[in-house]
Amino acid sequence: MIFSQIFDMVNIGIVVLDRDLKVKHWNRWMALHSGIAAEEIAEKSIFALFPNLNTSRFLRSCKAVLTFGNFSFFSQKLHRYLFAFKPVNSFGATFDYMQQSCTIGPLRDENNVIQYLYITVQDVTEVVSYEQKLLQMNMEDSLTGAYNRRFLEVYLRQELEKYKRYSRKISLIMLDIDFFKKVNDVYGHQCGDFILKCVAGEVALQIRKVDCLARYGGEEFCCLLPETSLDHAMHVAERIRAAIEVKTYDYQGTPIQVTVSLGVSELREKTDDADKLLKLADDALYEAKRLGRNKVISLQS
Amino acid sequence: MDKLQDCVFTDEEIDILQEIMNIAFGSAAADLAEAIDLFVVLSVPVVRVLQAEELPEYISNEIQGYDKVSLVEQDFLAKFKGVALLIFPSGIGKSLIAMLESDVDSTFESDPLDALERETLMEVGNILVGACVSKVAELLEDVVIYSPPRVIVENLPYKAISQDMFEPGNLAIILHTVFHFNAQDVSGFLFLVCSHESINWLRKALYEFLKQYE
Amino acid sequence: MIKKLLIADDSPVARKILKSCIPKDRGYEFYEVGDGLAALQKYEEVRPDLTFMDLTMPVMDGVEALMKILELDRNAVVVVSTADVQKKTIQKVMELGAYTLLKKPPSKESVQEVLLRVEEHLENQKRAHG
Repeated sequence: MIFSQIFDMVNIGIVVLDRDLKVKHWNRWMALHSGIAAEEIAEKSIFALFPNLNTSRFLRSCKAVLTFGNFSFFSQKLHRYLFAFKPVNSFGATFDYMQQSCTIGPLRDENNVIQYLYITVQDVTEVVSYEQKLLQMNMEDSLTGAYNRRFLEVYLRQELEKYKRYSRKISLIMLDIDFFKKVNDVYGHQCGDFILKCVAGEVALQIRKVDCLARYGGEEFCCLLPETSLDHAMHVAERIRAAIEVKTYDYQGTPIQVTVSLGVSELREKTDDADKLLKLADDALYEAKRLGRNKVISLQS
Repeated sequence: MDKLQDCVFTDEEIDILQEIMNIAFGSAAADLAEAIDLFVVLSVPVVRVLQAEELPEYISNEIQGYDKVSLVEQDFLAKFKGVALLIFPSGIGKSLIAMLESDVDSTFESDPLDALERETLMEVGNILVGACVSKVAELLEDVVIYSPPRVIVENLPYKAISQDMFEPGNLAIILHTVFHFNAQDVSGFLFLVCSHESINWLRKALYEFLKQYE
Repeated sequence: MIKKLLIADDSPVARKILKSCIPKDRGYEFYEVGDGLAALQKYEEVRPDLTFMDLTMPVMDGVEALMKILELDRNAVVVVSTADVQKKTIQKVMELGAYTLLKKPPSKESVQEVLLRVEEHLENQKRAHG
């Protein structure tokens, strides 16, 4: 009595399949989330109603469980979900489907022979959602909404790995607000913050989704442009410079104009690590300042 | 080390354990081939009894010759319990992926190869460990519960095995084999480390096993 | 008629297990060795009717011992005893001339079956040679 109640009362999906992967048991949680009653699915192959499960990975897992009494794990991180159910309550905004963590395990008969396997399905949408939020907060610069330096460095490393494998182009723009200290001194730090936000916003308008804008230092931004040649990156940098040059920002009634200096570098054979790429852009930025500011410079050709 | 073995296990007990390991690993390899199309050769397993503190060094010595390693760790729980360690040379993930003919999941767009390699290591590890441990359990008439495997990609072999992986002051039984996937020419090590609490049960189970044949 | 049995396995436990599956009331003579080379030598010395051969043995492994014994006596009846009974292994040892495979761990039933088949085989051979 108690066990059959446990089966239907627990807040976890439980499916039992026989050796031919036909459904023997389908608990209430599964019925409620799938809209498929136990009677409807009984004795049918699981693939009849969930064809997306018919992958080599799933089949192999079931075979291993039935042969060895293994447990097989389908984590949310790698698989997202096994059963495409709608997310409960408010997570529909972030996820199309309920995020699940699933386990497959063996069930034996009186002679200890494995006759069935069970699948447990856990709804981990909420946990994942929090994780993502944390990661987001960890990656962002809270003031400007750009990524933070830590994130840039990780992203840069990832892109460099890809570069090593596929030899695509990568370029970097180092951007610095000219005379930023003066803005702070004359108009106050809050105005300085406002200008930082504006500049970040301006850059964001000029770049694509795959490009990564990060706040690298106090008034310094770094923009990573994957699959972009030096020429193209110079164009993007120039567009940014020009857009900011002509803009007048309104801070509480006071009109403010700023300019930016930009250094551009491209990853080439001799530049095969992150530090070298960053340094080249930084050196170019320094040159831009030296040559009078409000300029786009690259030390490569 | 031999003195220690004498205290804990008699020669005959070691013999029985050795034969059980032979049978378990042999039939694991056979079933992997027949049921899962996974063709692996498992070398004759070695049985040792050590102090837990000696384990990292022992393992490091055994896997010498590997520049960088990937490690799959999995806890198993039965009347004998412990942890299984699968140690692969770094970078063979790609060969294993080919071996499993995985359906490439398009959601891994950002860095498909790394995530897939990790997942493959985990899957192969899970299957290999499950096969070997389950066969041993079967012979000793026990049933095993497994925790999800953990993949650790580490640079240097000695760094991969941390000191605090094993409870100090305890004895550990270590069983290891070299496994080889012929078609992909991939080899690695499988270590099963049982905590000393398992030793008493194991001794009894070994005799029970032999009793069937008397 | 099976009279002499040779058991080759480097594990004394495995030999013990196999012996225990063989009926004791048939007057069989048992010979035991622990490696492939000793198996070859014993075979030459004793000429057993049936040999049980483990594959993984030191000095000379079971496969090599199997081949050498068949070179010596092409009518040798060698049963390979192994836990690794996948198709590839079976094919390989059968091609080399093994009589059949016995899966480890053996049971009284599985061993009984092998003994029966070998008895029959030896009877047929005797008849064939008049």
